[in-house]
Amino acid sequence: MKMHAGIIAALSLAIFIMLPPSLALAAEPGKVKTSQPADLAAFLQDIGKKASNFKTLKTEFTQEKKMVMFKEKLVMKGRIYLEKPNKIAWHVDSPVRYSVLITDKLIRQWDEDTNKVQEISLAKNPIFQNVLNQLTVWFSGEYGSLLDTNDVRVIKRDPLVIEFIPRDNNVSKKVIKSIAITFRDDQKYLQQLRIQEVSGDVTTINFINTIMNTPLKSNSFEVKGRV
Amino acid sequence: MFENVFSLFNDFVRQQRKWILLLVLLATAAAGSGLFFARYEGNIDLMLPPDKEIARSMDFLRGSSFSDKVIVSVALTDPAKTKKDLFFAVDQLAASLAPPLFMKVVSGFSVSNVMDEFSVLQYAPQILGAKDLETIGGLINSNTVSQKMRGIYMQSMRPESVFTSSLSRSDPLGIKMLLLEKMRALPASMGYDVAIEDGHFISRDGRHAMMIIQTSVAMMDSPRSKELVATLQDRIKALPAYVSADIISGHLHTVSNEQVIKRDISIVSTIASVTFLFLFLLVFRDPRVLFVFIIPFIAIVWAIVLATAVEGRLLYLVIGLGTAIAGFSVDYGLHMYIALKRGVDGSQFVKLSRLITINATTTMFSFLVLFVSKIHGYHQLALFSALCVFICLLFALFVLPLVLSNMKAAPPPVSGSNIDDKLRSFRWPVKTCISVWVVLLALALYSSTSVTFDSDIKKLDGSGPDVLRAERTFHDVWGGKTSQAIFVVTGKSLEEAMEVNDFVFQAAGSLVGTGDFTSLAQFWPSERLRKENIAQWDSFWKQGQEDKLKKLIRESAASYQFSDVAFAPFFDGLYLHQTDSASNGLIAQLQERFVLSKDGEYRILSYFPDEQKYIDSLKEITLKYPGTFIVSGKAMSASISSFTAKEIRILAPLALLFNVLLSWLFFKDWKYALIALVPLVTGVVWFVGIMSFLKIPLNVINIVASIVSTGVIVDYGLGVTYQYRHKLRTGTIIAVTISATTNVIGTGALLFAKHPALHSTGVAMFICIITGYLSAILVVPPLCSLLEARENINV
Repeated sequence: MKMHAGIIAALSLAIFIMLPPSLALAAEPGKVKTSQPADLAAFLQDIGKKASNFKTLKTEFTQEKKMVMFKEKLVMKGRIYLEKPNKIAWHVDSPVRYSVLITDKLIRQWDEDTNKVQEISLAKNPIFQNVLNQLTVWFSGEYGSLLDTNDVRVIKRDPLVIEFIPRDNNVSKKVIKSIAITFRDDQKYLQQLRIQEVSGDVTTINFINTIMNTPLKSNSFEVKGRV
Repeated sequence: MFENVFSLFNDFVRQQRKWILLLVLLATAAAGSGLFFARYEGNIDLMLPPDKEIARSMDFLRGSSFSDKVIVSVALTDPAKTKKDLFFAVDQLAASLAPPLFMKVVSGFSVSNVMDEFSVLQYAPQILGAKDLETIGGLINSNTVSQKMRGIYMQSMRPESVFTSSLSRSDPLGIKMLLLEKMRALPASMGYDVAIEDGHFISRDGRHAMMIIQTSVAMMDSPRSKELVATLQDRIKALPAYVSADIISGHLHTVSNEQVIKRDISIVSTIASVTFLFLFLLVFRDPRVLFVFIIPFIAIVWAIVLATAVEGRLLYLVIGLGTAIAGFSVDYGLHMYIALKRGVDGSQFVKLSRLITINATTTMFSFLVLFVSKIHGYHQLALFSALCVFICLLFALFVLPLVLSNMKAAPPPVSGSNIDDKLRSFRWPVKTCISVWVVLLALALYSSTSVTFDSDIKKLDGSGPDVLRAERTFHDVWGGKTSQAIFVVTGKSLEEAMEVNDFVFQAAGSLVGTGDFTSLAQFWPSERLRKENIAQWDSFWKQGQEDKLKKLIRESAASYQFSDVAFAPFFDGLYLHQTDSASNGLIAQLQERFVLSKDGEYRILSYFPDEQKYIDSLKEITLKYPGTFIVSGKAMSASISSFTAKEIRILAPLALLFNVLLSWLFFKDWKYALIALVPLVTGVVWFVGIMSFLKIPLNVINIVASIVSTGVIVDYGLGVTYQYRHKLRTGTIIAVTISATTNVIGTGALLFAKHPALHSTGVAMFICIITGYLSAILVVPPLCSLLEARENINV
């Protein structure tokens, strides 16, 4: 029964994503609804508490990007290292090698093409700062703060899938149509992050081998010389 | 002649004693009630030279929206609170500010709008010129296009690709960078270090947010400024406890200056009044001396009403100086009171009246000489002060004797009368006194050669410590310490002004470099130029560059699996542009900082560092384009400095000439006239020497104060010399001593003033009067003795 409900929810989600927004909204009354928490803020806070209950995190990821710009899906594999409050390293291992370190003050990046480390002051790049603020929130699991700028709803209960649709006051609204996050069974971190863009591009990031509160080597946050 | 006229008036006044006293009483009551209807002025613009450039700059600043803007810096005070809380507070404050006081509140703009607005294909054709197209042409080659394709591919691996890949599709060559380069100088034009986050202006430390409020209240409008500041402070009080807010505004300076001057006037008046009262009662032990003390106050009340009737509005600063003038004007009554108490005979009474009149005349002339100045504020000061002196003179000559003669009991003898006799009969060590004076004068003269002049009128701003602290904090957080000058282009229509502005930008670029000259033309030229740019853009792509780029992309894209439609948004929109009027959106927001419109005239502003080398270079452009001019704080200071120097070269010799002339007219003997001028020379030389020694620069205010003081200290010389020459027993030395004491108290009280202009006045007058007085009693008598001895030998 539980599995049956999950399939229905997954199908509903798939239909919702594939339909144009107006049709999706028109179809809403008829579709199978997942019960919504009575107090969404408390629910998110609770989930956020669980999912952000770590100081350090290391995970591998596979990112699939279906982009209008490319004929084929772009598939990337790599690792993410996160140390709270404001330090994220994103290393892509294939198909090309690329690393970026994001802190509250700067972005340091390296790629194998140039083999050069480029450092950018975050303060002098307000647009970039906004972009990275968004990503930091998704990766760190602190979702409570998103209620003001997103319409939030629970798509599925098991595994838990929550969808965020940017509101008009959200900077991302011009670019992002919706973001769906799927939690692990223990709800301690993300299993999948799916970003649907206004342009039609879809990015899916699957997190695997996630380990929390493990001591991280200092070279995990180095972008040159690679780990 | 004086004797005849004086006796005529004196006889008439004595005959009409009751009517005269009643008239004085009624006139004083009427003037007192007139104070409530008189109009006062808080700003010190009238004290500035009417130089064409200064006047134009001041007019520009008044008419510009800068002066009608209020900036609020909101700070998080609770470490636990975040930017979100800060923005909440800012939005709350913004929502609470409504017309008519607050016309518009800008607390930032949306970054998403920036991304939207600056779509390459909407703006590049309009903004990019021939030189930029040349740059783009340089990018269309196999190597660069291949690199760009690789770059776009690499970028799609990055976390931010969600936000950037769609931009790449409409801009495969990175033309956006050319547009951003033109926008780079924009934050510099604000003069602040501002970031934008979540649609709000935020400081680099992330703990402060900025709001720019446009108000309908003119900065110089004192009553409405008070209302504006009070309302804003009320709204700020209603903000959550975790934030504090600082207001930065010219209105705050207007309100604060007025408060400080009022407070100073009140403190200085109280100190001076209490000390005068104490001194008079202690020395004279006669309550009737109070009338002598009241005379200057009555004169000030009459003078305020009369001067306002002539001038329309009277500067608070001028009234503030009146407190010191009250100290000077009490002298005449004092001379008369002491003489009357000594029971002088008719002939000595007339001689004394002559001395008092000549004293008042020298003082009035030292004020009236200010009418020669071109600065209107000085005229007001001259009128008000001369009126004060003249009214005091009338009271001393005609009203005081009536009041004293009305007294039933004879006034007790003046306790200082013996001192006067002792001083008069004292045998001065002539050579010692004169030698010491000459040496000290030479030292002061030497020291005065290194005196400096400070032309920065900002230092005469008397705003309270809270206002200055808020500004210091603001600059620490937001930067903006480097002042900027403005290049102004005027035109009857926006387009006309923008076309001239385009030429100015080109010319400025070649003279000072575009990096230091932030202009609207840099990122939004005139419609004419935008149309020209569009035509060039179309022609550029149609003449083979479009096909060439498509071909190169096709060749490079294959290895990265780019789809056929990967860059369709760019090629499809290459010619879908139109001339934008920029009536709304980001360009319109940015344009606000660069365009002013007033009375059907448009002014376009460009910003550059306020440094002489830039001003000198850019002045060449103002000569070429009529209707263009430069507004620079430094240039204004330099103009004020040069103007003041010119005026002083006329005013100082004129004041001296008047004093010399009056002194000669009084004595009809050059030797005595020169001796009488010793305090004047000593006072002025020592003033400049001491200021130089203490490393206090001269400024517009203290120079005028010292000129005014010359009219007072010359009286000491005249009085003491006159007494020695005519062997008068009218108590002149004690009168001079008491008058100097009262003057020192009056000007010394100004040393407690917080307003720099009043304080500066106090310093100048205090030095002049003390040194003038000391030379009057220590140097003049020995010189008179020396002259007398020589004359006796000759006889």
